[in-house]
Amino acid sequence: MNLYFNQISAIVWKDFVTELKTRELFSSMFIFALLVILIFIFSINLSIVKASEVGPGVLWVAFLFAGTIGLNRSFMLEKENGCLTGLMLVPADRTAIYFGKLISNFIFLLIMEFFILPLFMIFFNVDLLAHIGSLATVVLLGTLGFCALGTLLSSLSSNLKTREIMLPILLYPLLIPIVIGVVRMTGQILEGIPLSDMMKWIGLTASFDIIYIGVSIMTIDHILEE
Amino acid sequence: MDQDLEKEPDEESTVLIWLTGIVFFAAIAAIFIIVPTEKTEGPIQRIMYLHIPSAWLAFFAFFIVFISSILFLWKKEREWDIYAHASAEIGVVFCSLVLITGPIWAKPIWGTWWVWDARLTSTLILWLIYVAYLMLRSQTDAGSMRARYAAVLGIVGFLNIPFIHFSVLWWRTFHPQPKVISSEGFGKGMDTSMLATLGVSLCAFTLLYFLLMGQRIRLERLKDEVDRLKRQKLYSS
Repeated sequence: MNLYFNQISAIVWKDFVTELKTRELFSSMFIFALLVILIFIFSINLSIVKASEVGPGVLWVAFLFAGTIGLNRSFMLEKENGCLTGLMLVPADRTAIYFGKLISNFIFLLIMEFFILPLFMIFFNVDLLAHIGSLATVVLLGTLGFCALGTLLSSLSSNLKTREIMLPILLYPLLIPIVIGVVRMTGQILEGIPLSDMMKWIGLTASFDIIYIGVSIMTIDHILEE
Repeated sequence: MDQDLEKEPDEESTVLIWLTGIVFFAAIAAIFIIVPTEKTEGPIQRIMYLHIPSAWLAFFAFFIVFISSILFLWKKEREWDIYAHASAEIGVVFCSLVLITGPIWAKPIWGTWWVWDARLTSTLILWLIYVAYLMLRSQTDAGSMRARYAAVLGIVGFLNIPFIHFSVLWWRTFHPQPKVISSEGFGKGMDTSMLATLGVSLCAFTLLYFLLMGQRIRLERLKDEVDRLKRQKLYSS
């Protein structure tokens, strides 16, 4: 068991070192998310609509789009120079590769979100600090679900010829339930409703996370097979 | 193998073709001649006898995709991959029919082509998932990789249905409450002749599913056979 965790942390560590050296993933994700938010601000009239109503949707669309860039990058990096073949030759369980990738995607996304949220607060003039605890829970649950399914599908789409196009086409319809859930929850949080009043949404998102991590563990062997 | 391919479709599918034809004829007669016109909605309500069976068939086809995908990953036999592929294609066709007949029915009754109601939304999402499934299949070359990837997506996609259902249900809904199977019991909300017509129509569509499945599977097997012969020819010359 200890060995298994070492393998996972080695993969995560490798991704971090690569990112620290190149710094291309984080900057592109951050700037892209910022651009998405700006485009939405230009396309909606903020003096007519309530910021707490459209804000959550804009925020999560930005996270989703920027996250897709991260996911596309994550396995493409491994495809270049045959790194993925190297990873698969390691006498490690295939699920270790999945979890390593899942964790590094998750952390990259969380860092990006951490920097986007203050900007969102300023642009939309909403107070996030008052409900920071419940907001953090929702962001963690939503991002985990996105990464669980996203890592599985990006490992799959990285082998296709049209990988950048296929990943969103495969991923977005499957993510709709969780997107509806987190946008609803974020909206309610901004209106000051406590987290205990939206247990059904939390249950939905949490079970989405658990089921898709489970399915990924069961099926990743069939995807990473040469 | 060769004899098998030639003989098999003849006997079984001739019976099935005739049976499907007869039941479909009965269904059409029942829908347009026998069944009384609904009091409030008028003749447009007859589209229900095509709308509901199409929806049933789409869900059934996607369920078969799910089962075949699991069996493929478990047993790794080409047969299950063929079943999943054939069923997904049929499912997408009938899911499209649901999305077409729905607005035609909704326009005179609700006054609008489309509303973001729970069942419409979930059918649309489902359609998108399985169109993506077919796109994935067309993007990859034939072989074990395509079959494995498609099987994973077939499983992941079907498991998404409960999540879609609850999320869009809590989001908003104003579809007519289920009338055939309601909390009051089976078929309480409908007239007997209407229920019978719906039953015949459901039968006809289900038979059509098996007919199309049989044809599609045979086509795929013939494709495999052609590939095999091509390779044989290539290596022997």
